[in-house]
Amino acid sequence: MTYFFQLVLSGIVVGSIYALSALGFVLIYKSSRVLNIAHGQLIATGAFITYALTVWVGIPIYISFFISLLITFILTMSVERIFLRRLIGEPIISVIMVTIGLMSILDGLIYLTPFGSENFSFPLFLPKEPISMAGLSMSWTQLVGVIITFALIGAFSWFFKKSTIGISMRAVSDDQLASMSIGISVPRVFGLAWATAGLSAAAAGGIIGNTTGLNFDTLHAFGITVFPVVILGGLDSILGAVVAGIIMGLIQQFAGGYLDGNWGLNGTGVVLPYIILLIILLFKPHGLFGIHEIERV
Amino acid sequence: MSANRWLATGNYFATYKEEQRIFFTHTDRLIFSFFLVCVFVWPLVFETNNKYMLVVDNILIAMIAVLGLNMVTGFAGLISIGHAAFVGVGAYAVASVSRVMGNDYIFLTHAWPLMILLSGFIGAVFGAMVGLPAFRLKHLYLAIATLSFQMIFQWAINFMEFFNQGQTIYVGRAFWFTGEVGRNEHYIFWYYVILVILVLMGFMVRNILRTRFGRCLIAVRDNDRAADAMGMHPGLTKVYAFGLAGFFAGVAGALHAYLYRGVGVESFTLHHSITYLAMAIVGGLGTLNGSFWGPMAIKILELQVEKIAEHAGEIFPASTNLATALRPLSFGLVIVLFLMFEPRGIANWWRITRSYFKLWPFRY
Repeated sequence: MTYFFQLVLSGIVVGSIYALSALGFVLIYKSSRVLNIAHGQLIATGAFITYALTVWVGIPIYISFFISLLITFILTMSVERIFLRRLIGEPIISVIMVTIGLMSILDGLIYLTPFGSENFSFPLFLPKEPISMAGLSMSWTQLVGVIITFALIGAFSWFFKKSTIGISMRAVSDDQLASMSIGISVPRVFGLAWATAGLSAAAAGGIIGNTTGLNFDTLHAFGITVFPVVILGGLDSILGAVVAGIIMGLIQQFAGGYLDGNWGLNGTGVVLPYIILLIILLFKPHGLFGIHEIERV
Repeated sequence: MSANRWLATGNYFATYKEEQRIFFTHTDRLIFSFFLVCVFVWPLVFETNNKYMLVVDNILIAMIAVLGLNMVTGFAGLISIGHAAFVGVGAYAVASVSRVMGNDYIFLTHAWPLMILLSGFIGAVFGAMVGLPAFRLKHLYLAIATLSFQMIFQWAINFMEFFNQGQTIYVGRAFWFTGEVGRNEHYIFWYYVILVILVLMGFMVRNILRTRFGRCLIAVRDNDRAADAMGMHPGLTKVYAFGLAGFFAGVAGALHAYLYRGVGVESFTLHHSITYLAMAIVGGLGTLNGSFWGPMAIKILELQVEKIAEHAGEIFPASTNLATALRPLSFGLVIVLFLMFEPRGIANWWRITRSYFKLWPFRY
């Protein structure tokens, strides 16, 4: 039974990071209806920038985490400005293909740095002994990671619900023409949506880097797992992203804990999200919380 | 319409049937036949080596795969980020026969045309299965569905004992009427096989586009609600498109398996899917001749990038994996730049060149 609760605990830890990564994806989709295929690469970029600042420049991690958020914020904003701004009004299919191209470009840029081939791990800055309680254990890094994740999710939800920019983002997602007529600059909102998405991706990357170490393949796989999460949650719901992230984390941990090694199965945690994704697409395409009025054939 | 199309001042088609012809004049037919003869004869005239022929064969296989991808992405307007997985399905269809019956099984070595056709059909079944969500959803979701198929495919190959866990599964040498195809003739032999299949496939696509189904595809891409109102079934059309794309990919995969005489998972990764997409975009989405330009351009680019990486590797010995970095970088740049500045691809340049010569010496 302890094993079960241990799996639940680690599932929630992983799942909350999924939720944070999915959040950025949902932000972009909600405001501009673009699927950002390059989101996983943004997460990796954030993680690597945090590492480079902490270890190579020598800034304390509390500060470097925030600097990396800022850098990624500016980076994604300029990506939007350079590549996607001139595609406003083009068919959505070519915008999505541009993000596929961006994914390839970012891949190449990361391979140019040492991060592409080597493994790194962050220096420990929290107590080494895990917290143990009733036979369950959790490292300090994971605990802090989960706390930051939930704080950020809360902040983003507040930002989206209450702040002026957030409200204008929601207005744009609802009707671009109407929001233009009441004086919202639609291109600026797109830029901000991308920038906030980059910010949340960088935060997720920093937390993953601290909890699991920096390996490009792992981060890459992590980024692609965001797709099952957002589809399960419904593409345009923040609540959905959070709930689906945690569900996906739990599924992965249970699959890894109970299925692997039995019946000749291996690595089921990696593949199960995609099988679930195909099933959801067939039977409940708007996910758990997505609005039902989704483009249908 | 003037008898000589090169002297005509515009298109003067009197009937719909006239517009739908593949060749407009006898001169066109003659030029095309001459081109085909050239393509078939050149390996006999010029001296070739195996390394060179391998590149050419690779380009031709990529053309077959991209014909399929263009069907689904260009003509039906659905993004597929899992095309390499469909190619892989075809290749692993050959590999599983080799795995179950041994790599010199007579069906594999003697009846390879049947085997290639069978792989095509298996690919079509998988393509249609992945395309099933098309009954309810639009392109956004299908992109994710194909992506997840890519991930499931890679997992299945990497973790299953039957598929040798992604390690190479050998396929025996093929037999021709003259006996076993030896090491020296191998690439030339497959060049001709692939070329014949490619020409057949090219005509197949050209003819599909003239049929009711082909017009359905384009109508559904342009406006699915209007297509629905006109009595077409958008969902079914898209599933058929995926099935056809799967068929082309399966054939390409089987040819790949025979050409390399082995199948390994490293040729069918997500990276390759993006490469196929890059080929389709660079060639020109929704054009037939784009499917031929794209693979050529991208493969040549790939060779140049490898050459540059080699030279740069001599200067900076520290950066050992420069080739792995430059390849995705250049492909990504090519995709983005073409979409931004020439969304109609190289096929558009071809069109511009043709109309320039047609109008010469006038500007328009």
